[in-house]
Amino acid sequence: MSQNRWLATGNFFTSYKQEQRTFFTHLDRTIFTCFLVILFGWPLVFEISNKYMLVLDNILIAIVAVMGLNLLLGFAGLISIGHAAFVGIGAYTVASVCQVIGENHVIVTHFWPVLIVCAGIMGAIFGAFVGLPALRLKHLYLAIATLSFQMIFEWVIQFMSFFNQGQTIYVGRAHWLTGQVGRSDHYLFWYYIILTIVVILGFGVRNLLKTKYGRCLVAVRDNDRAADAMGMNPGLTKVYAFALAGFFAGVAGALHAYLYRGVGFESFTLHASVGYLAMAIVGGLGTLNGIFWGPVAIKFLDIQVEQFSEFVGQYLTSAPNVATALKPLSFGLVIVLFLMYEPRGIANWWRIVKSYTKLWPFRY
Amino acid sequence: MSYFFQIVVSGIVVGSIYALAALGLVLVYKSSRVANFAHGQIIAAGAFITFFLTVRLGVPIFFSFLASMLITFFLAMSVERIFLRRLIGEPIISVIMVTIGLASIFDGLIYLTPFGSENFSFPTFLPTESIVVGGVSISWTQLVGVIITFVLIGCFSWFFKKSTVGISMRAVSDDQFGAMSVGISVPRVFALAWATAGLSAAAAGCIIGNITGLNFETLHAFGIVVFPVVILGGLDSILGAVVAGIIMGLIQQFASGYLDGNFGLNGTGDVMPYIILLIILLFKPHGLFGIHEIERV
Repeated sequence: MSQNRWLATGNFFTSYKQEQRTFFTHLDRTIFTCFLVILFGWPLVFEISNKYMLVLDNILIAIVAVMGLNLLLGFAGLISIGHAAFVGIGAYTVASVCQVIGENHVIVTHFWPVLIVCAGIMGAIFGAFVGLPALRLKHLYLAIATLSFQMIFEWVIQFMSFFNQGQTIYVGRAHWLTGQVGRSDHYLFWYYIILTIVVILGFGVRNLLKTKYGRCLVAVRDNDRAADAMGMNPGLTKVYAFALAGFFAGVAGALHAYLYRGVGFESFTLHASVGYLAMAIVGGLGTLNGIFWGPVAIKFLDIQVEQFSEFVGQYLTSAPNVATALKPLSFGLVIVLFLMYEPRGIANWWRIVKSYTKLWPFRY
Repeated sequence: MSYFFQIVVSGIVVGSIYALAALGLVLVYKSSRVANFAHGQIIAAGAFITFFLTVRLGVPIFFSFLASMLITFFLAMSVERIFLRRLIGEPIISVIMVTIGLASIFDGLIYLTPFGSENFSFPTFLPTESIVVGGVSISWTQLVGVIITFVLIGCFSWFFKKSTVGISMRAVSDDQFGAMSVGISVPRVFALAWATAGLSAAAAGCIIGNITGLNFETLHAFGIVVFPVVILGGLDSILGAVVAGIIMGLIQQFASGYLDGNFGLNGTGDVMPYIILLIILLFKPHGLFGIHEIERV
């Protein structure tokens, strides 16, 4: 490490332990701390309407879900077109607890952290179960297997009376130390909770990738036979990647259920699955910060398209449904253009910026 | 007993349409190893082009049928040229995601036209009364649809067995480098495979549109249901697509005919293909007629 820790330009590591650190330079750590402080602190300074708070909460939940998908797709190289179904399993775990013991039972309202973890575990169990075909199947076949899981999930939800046939199942308001979380600060409360969960899980992913188990995923992605020869168990790794993705998705689903105070079938369709895939790809597969860029970019695009189609709708009164048309159009264009021109996603831009500034002003 | 045969007949009708729709998917996969998730949208596009030509422009239905096949021929070919050509050699997830993105783009484009959200039906050009044989009825549109389907499938299989272009397409699907070295233009074959897929998609769209009416949701849903069919038949076998299409149609009709409303179940017809799919993937992943390319880890 150089003498001045603010001007560390380059690699000064002298032991493996130093290379295993979460933050490589002092600047990294400082910037990250500032970023966290800003994320946690700004709601105390600015006051924004519930509508926009809901958008932020949505983005954060999508980040949790995409974390799992990126682990599965980017790091383990397994395609899943059924990620929304896993999110749905998390949400419907909470919903079925509400169905059995009532939506305002003390377990639902007071012990929600337990319920969120339970939903995650439920997602992991289903993930491992759905991952079983991955022992035999690869690539396209696996994609279609997960697709069929998505379809079966949708059918079960839509036709079982226990799940209210896809109609909304209500979830009670959560309680905090100060008592019930009221209507006005409901979204703010969940903003803090989801943000905390995102930070914890983000560190979890960062540390996982430094362990044997995380490196297993990458090895199996790159060449599963080579990984087998090196003493890893590719089959087990694949199943466990699915379980991990299911856990993240389950947590995201439980958070979704609590945030919207209800679970409905529409949020977990094939369309949502494709949305998660798009987020993972636009953010950048196999990168940690891509997990955060993707959902932000896609949700931001969604809002912009909505506003634009409202604007267009004012002038083209006869045009039938500009909003329904522009949304999939722009969404599809973004996916296709990113895959054609920047397959490594927004994370690649971030990497370029970082490598440019890392050695600045000495560019050699 | 006539209930049973009625179900068999409607299963064969549905199944032959599945077979025609699956044909396009198999063609593309066979030559270029691309699973086209936008196939349902191409089917819908073909159907709506025919509808537009017949109803809005007053073209006789036979000519508009041919014209829409021609248009989707070039549409699918240009899709391959613009989007898929650049992705040769990319990882499979990119290719799958591009076709999913294309599906989304087509969705948007079709919603921009007046056909996006309403129900339409073709003008009737066949007798409306059904043919009844021993308590089993089949309508003229269904009968003609099935006949056209089998004629088209016959034409396609002749094309692949006998014609020079078809043989070169089979050569490319077997070994791209080998085909290249004997002078077959592989990009041209890819384009042609997409184009023939577009052709069969348009035909499938018109037949479905005639039988069930034109609705964008139901038409593009075919693009997803086709996947269980092609997996059952083997992803790169035309005969497999036909057999599996009919099997899947029968299973679906039997499920909705006998299971719905009996055991507290509903809509089993929609989910049955996917359950079958999972079972096939577990026991016979290469399908009935597919080549064994699955490897275990």
